[in-house]
Amino acid sequence: MQTVNESKAKWSLRDVIFLAIIAIFFGVIFEVWSAAYYAVAATPLKPYANDLTLGVWLMAAPLAGAILQKVGSSLLGEVLAAAVEMMLFSSWGAANLISGFIQGIGTELGFAATGYKNWGKLGLTFSVITTTIVTFIWDLFNSGYADYKPSLMITLFIIRLISAGFFGGVLVYYIQKLVAKSGVLKH
Amino acid sequence: MFKINPTILVAIMLSIGVETSFVRSIILNGIVVLISGIYLLMQRPNFKLIGLMILISIPLAFGTWWSFIAFGTGDTHHLALVYASRLYAYLFLGAAVTLTVPVKELLFSLNQHAKISNTFTYGLLAAFNLVPRVRRQVQIIRYAGALRGVTYHLWQPQIYFKAILSALHWSDDLAIAMTSHGFSEGFPRTQTVKDILPKWQWGIPVVLAILYLVIAIVYKPW
Repeated sequence: MQTVNESKAKWSLRDVIFLAIIAIFFGVIFEVWSAAYYAVAATPLKPYANDLTLGVWLMAAPLAGAILQKVGSSLLGEVLAAAVEMMLFSSWGAANLISGFIQGIGTELGFAATGYKNWGKLGLTFSVITTTIVTFIWDLFNSGYADYKPSLMITLFIIRLISAGFFGGVLVYYIQKLVAKSGVLKH
Repeated sequence: MFKINPTILVAIMLSIGVETSFVRSIILNGIVVLISGIYLLMQRPNFKLIGLMILISIPLAFGTWWSFIAFGTGDTHHLALVYASRLYAYLFLGAAVTLTVPVKELLFSLNQHAKISNTFTYGLLAAFNLVPRVRRQVQIIRYAGALRGVTYHLWQPQIYFKAILSALHWSDDLAIAMTSHGFSEGFPRTQTVKDILPKWQWGIPVVLAILYLVIAIVYKPW
């Protein structure tokens, strides 16, 4: 007899593989993006490029939350995405894992604020706000944003909020709707 | 050849990585690059890959440096160098792990020493083997759209939706396949690969992290 753990609360093999494959898909899809980012990042406009594209890197977390709807799914989704990215696509190892963790925590806080009851518009809105704030605080130190002029800091924060709002909020919301309509999810 | 256990390497990478984020010192960044670089060279890595990595990073470091010259406050010339060199500290810290340890070895080591569960270890390993298929699938999605005159843009939900559908099917299939081949979730299993971690190596990340902190706080290097 096979021994399969049916408990819902725990992470099943299927969930783990699902999140990892999603992360690989995103990595492959975003390889296209990196060229555009790269072109801008070689100029003093680099912080703008960072914040404008940040929403893209954040997407894995709210998407994992919105689809799996489990406590910790956003954090795990983003950390797995970072791990996949580190091992397969880039050599920013340390930075990847740490910022993946920070981003995951940021998104997770948003869903936690709804008591893990709302994974739709409200939960996504909260998660966009919390992840923007948490990752921005992190970048004050890590990327040295604290040493930029205050006017630039404010501009960057707004750009980041828009980027996270579009990719981690609006886009994830529509993806979630498509998935729900297709009826492939069991819950 | 002196080899640090992969788990220990990850511990060093994370602890020094976090400290690097908070310490603004060009000298310390340089030391991190130097030590990681020496370790990297000792492992006889793929030099072409390292060359490529450094080449790609130059414009990025330049962008960072320039942005602080342009928009920074305070001692902008010093800060610009701090953040540009920090980029290399991260690059070499990461490379010392990712370019010296194959993914499989890293996962097995973390499984045995860092208590990463079997479900995660083997689930991730299974997913990693699908990378070529994922690449092909992304192309198939694009071509299938092109046949119908549809271009998928990254700011539209369709391409992600199709990716999620594939991921759902594949993860279902893989999980069932693994279970039917005898993988049992949440139960102990025997190990064929024994990853050796001498106890003293746990001291390396601890000593390095404390040393870094002491130097940063006491000497405040430039």
